[in-house]
Order: sequence, then structure tokens, then C-alpha cells
Amino acid sequence: MLLQDFAQVVRSKNAGPRRFTLDIIFRNDADYQRAAQSEALTAEKIAPLYGVAADRITVINYPLGRAIKIVVPRQIMSGDPGDRDVYGAQQHTPLLRLEI
Amino acid sequence: MTASARILDHFAKSNGSEPIRVLGASGQLGYGVPTPAFTAGLERKPHLIGCDMGSIDPGPYYLGSGELATAPAATRRDLRKVLLGALKLKIPLVIGSAGSAGARPHLEKTLAIVREIAREEGLHFKLGVLRADIDRNVLKAAIRSNGVASIDDMPALDAAEVDAAANIVGQMGMSAFQRALQAGVDVIIAGRACDTAIFASLPSMVGFPTGPAQHMAKIIECASLCCVPGGRDSILATLDHEGFVLESMAPQRRATPVSVAAHSLYEQSDPFTVQEPEGKLDLGRATYNAIDDRRTRVVGAVWEDAREPWVKIEGARQVGERAILLCGTADPRFIAKHEQLLKEVEGVVRDLVCEDAAEDYTLSWRVYGVNGVRMTPVTQNTEPAEAFIMGECIAPTAARAAEVVRTTKQYLLHHGYEGRLSTGGNLAFPFTPPEVSVGPAYRFNVYHLMRADDLDALFPLDIETL
Repeated sequence: MLLQDFAQVVRSKNAGPRRFTLDIIFRNDADYQRAAQSEALTAEKIAPLYGVAADRITVINYPLGRAIKIVVPRQIMSGDPGDRDVYGAQQHTPLLRLEI
Repeated sequence: MTASARILDHFAKSNGSEPIRVLGASGQLGYGVPTPAFTAGLERKPHLIGCDMGSIDPGPYYLGSGELATAPAATRRDLRKVLLGALKLKIPLVIGSAGSAGARPHLEKTLAIVREIAREEGLHFKLGVLRADIDRNVLKAAIRSNGVASIDDMPALDAAEVDAAANIVGQMGMSAFQRALQAGVDVIIAGRACDTAIFASLPSMVGFPTGPAQHMAKIIECASLCCVPGGRDSILATLDHEGFVLESMAPQRRATPVSVAAHSLYEQSDPFTVQEPEGKLDLGRATYNAIDDRRTRVVGAVWEDAREPWVKIEGARQVGERAILLCGTADPRFIAKHEQLLKEVEGVVRDLVCEDAAEDYTLSWRVYGVNGVRMTPVTQNTEPAEAFIMGECIAPTAARAAEVVRTTKQYLLHHGYEGRLSTGGNLAFPFTPPEVSVGPAYRFNVYHLMRADDLDALFPLDIETL
């Protein structure tokens, strides 16, 4: 199943001007557990989608919020010449079609 | 008696028996404070109204230029609304990160509006002004004594970058606001500040535990964003000595345990800890419980005082003047070859505009419909039916940037290539002129932590009687 078909929220946003964070929030605990236990959302799987090394990506499981957070370094700092997304709010799309 | 003196006196007398009610009126003052929810919040007799007014999120332009991100009329409307509300109830109004970025020009523009409203409405009050500009000599001395550290792999800071920055601010914490509240004020307008300090300073100084106070502040600084559905309406937090209850002042917005817990994720790289200048908030053992379908009670946040305060500092420097070209294309042959064609035109333009001048500019492209948005390369199998092309030039002067984009427009429009059918022109312009001078371009060149031995000196307080 694709992530976009069962996650409640798939979003990205800056966490400071040098990183963005991807939050994936699920409708219920079962969906959260399914995603958290799958191999699809590991740093190794996410890294190539964003063109960075796996050891620069942090994945945090947050069961209280039924959420998985992924922190990715920005290759261009927010607002620097050449930036494409000052708020980092449109960098979630590579996750949408991940198979869980 | 000032509002802060009245509230401090009230809590000194209540001796811990009464909870404190804090109204989070706005997460971004100047973008509109919905009146029904704000009025409903006032009816609950809060002890403090807090408003966050700025952020680093909108990018370096505002900090660098000194301009507000919000429209003057909307900013004035919001300021009038919260001023009148707080003065009527005789409770402190606390506004942090004034004027979008919280440096001197932003603060002065905000204060000018506040003074004007006071004059128009015949309001009289004591205004505490907290400044957040970092003295360049103080910062350079901190660099020399290893008192400056990079955040998130930012390059090390040096004296040249300090001098190049148009504005440098530090995020003040609770102690600055507490100094102002202690001095006796009705309204506090602060430069760049930690969002949380706006709301947590008063509860913390009248004896409520800092952990829950900071956690409450972290949530209500975004108004009702922690609710389902999330929104901009005012939110009320009721804090006691164990925890706090959240309730949106808009009836359709529900603060549920999951929606509130999930808010800890927002714009944070770590949902379990929040680093502040004066300490660290640990949310690892926080719990969220529903009181009913609209209210959630939160307990368990733990505050740990910092051994020495480190202040987050932000600065932006100008990198040139920006001009852009806006145009579209629907030609499949042009779209298929656009990367090569844009490169060819860059070369043609360079040969022309650098005939008698140095190559002193950068020209770059975003091709929307193809790869304008994503930060990482996009591979797609089919070409889009249409594409929007934005050319961006950054040059030493506005005239030079305009020269480059105007020349680019003409040569891109008429650029010939193998297989071209549309010899009338390669581009569609929705209007003319399609070239726009945007103004100065900035980049963040300070995003560091600075050790601060004397927070009082760093964030000075002035009191003005209106």
C-alpha cells in the first residue's frame, strides 16, 4: 500500500533555516505500528529520495502523536540564492508513493 | 497601578490556590486575529494576553531589509484589537518578535503604530520596550573567546560576516520579559524573542512550575493550530501547579490528546526536547488526556535550567539586487529542449552584457511544471503540456539586474534552435513588463548560538509612558 493512501498527514516544514522535517501522522495506532515496523521509513530508504547521506538523516518515532518524524538537512539554506522553497513546505512529495 | 503590578500582586495574595489563565491571541500578529474567538477569550478573564509576531521562517529578506512581512493596515487592526482588549481587562499584553523579525527597524515600526493607536484612541499606559539587537563588538568579543557556536552545521562565524550583516538579533528568553513585568508595565513590545517566553514568563515568575508553563507556551504560541481542525483563533490555557488545560476559543476547533501531542512535532527537529536560552524542556514523559471532546489536559513536562545561557542569534546580509523574468511556454519542442536552450541563451546574454563589463551577476532558472519546486532532482517520463519559467538575476545593482533580465527576455523569446516551428516567439507573457525588479536580495549569514553572561545587558528595557 502506498503511504499516501493510509497516512492522515504527510507534511514538510523548515525546522530552522538549515533543515526541514517530514512529519507523517497516522489515523490510528495500528496504522502507525504498521508504518513504524516496516522497512520503508528508515534513514537508508529516505536518503536517496533527498540526495543526502543516510547518516545525515534522523528518523524519530513518536507514538504519542501516532507520528514518524524525519529530519533532513537542506542543501541550500532557506532563502539563499537558488532556494526553491523558503518555508520547506513542499518537500514531502517524494514520500507519497512509498510502498509500506 | 500597572497591569503587571496588579497581576503579580494578585498571585502573591492567592498563594498558589488559583490557576493562571493565558490567552494565546495570535501566532502571527498582523495576519488577522479573528474577533469572535478573541472576544470569547476576553470573556474568560485571562491574566495575560500573548501574541507572537515574528519568525525566522519567512526567510532572510525581512531581517535584512528591516521591512515587515505583514501589511500595515492589517498590522494596525490587530494591534488595536489586542491593545484595547488587554487595557480594558487591565492585564498585561505581551508581544514578541515585533514586526516579523524583531530587529530595531521592525521594533520601531511596530512602536510607531502602537503610539499612533494610543493617540487616536486616547489610551494611556506604560509600555515596556525590550530590544534584541546584538552589539557587533559584543559578538566579535564572543567569537574571540570561543563563545559562539554554529547551529546545524552553519559555517563558523567571523568578524567580516558580523560586519556584513544588515541586522543581527538574539532571541531573548524569560528573564527579559520578567524584568519588564517586574518593573511595572501594561504592554510589552519585544524585539526578537523565543516564542515560549512571551507566554511562560509571567506564570513562571509567580510560582507556577516552569516545565508545564513552557510546554503550554510552546503550544499556544501558534494559537489554535494544535486543534482539529487547526486554525488561527485565540486559545485559552489554564495552568495550575501540575499541568494545563487547552481550549480553543472557536467552538468548532477541538484540542484532542492526539492533536495536541502531534503539535510537538511542528517545526521542531525533536519532539521530545525544546532548547531555550535559559534551559531545556523535556517532553519525554508528558501525557495528554481528554477532559471532554474540546479540551485536553497536559502534564509531565520537565524543565532543566541551563548551566550557562546561550542565546540563539540570527543575522542577514545583502547579496545583491534581484530582478526576475516571468514567462510561460506551451511549445512541446521548446519544453523538451529547455535545459539546453536556457544554457544557450545564458551564453548569448553573457556575451552581450559583459562586452564592456565584468560578469558580475548570477542568472538562474526555475521551470515550474518540470522541476521548480523540489529541492532534489525530479525524473519524469512525460513532458508537461505547459511550463512556467522564472529567470532570476542577482547583480550588484538594481540597474545591472534589470539589464540582464531584460536582455534575457528578448533573446529567450526569439532564440532559434534545431526543429523550431514557433518562429513568432518561444514565450507567452501574461502581461508586460514581464521583468520585475524585486529589490535587495539577502541571505542568512548568522545562525549561531552565543554564550551570554549578562542577559540583562544584552536585552535592554526602556519604559515609555503613553
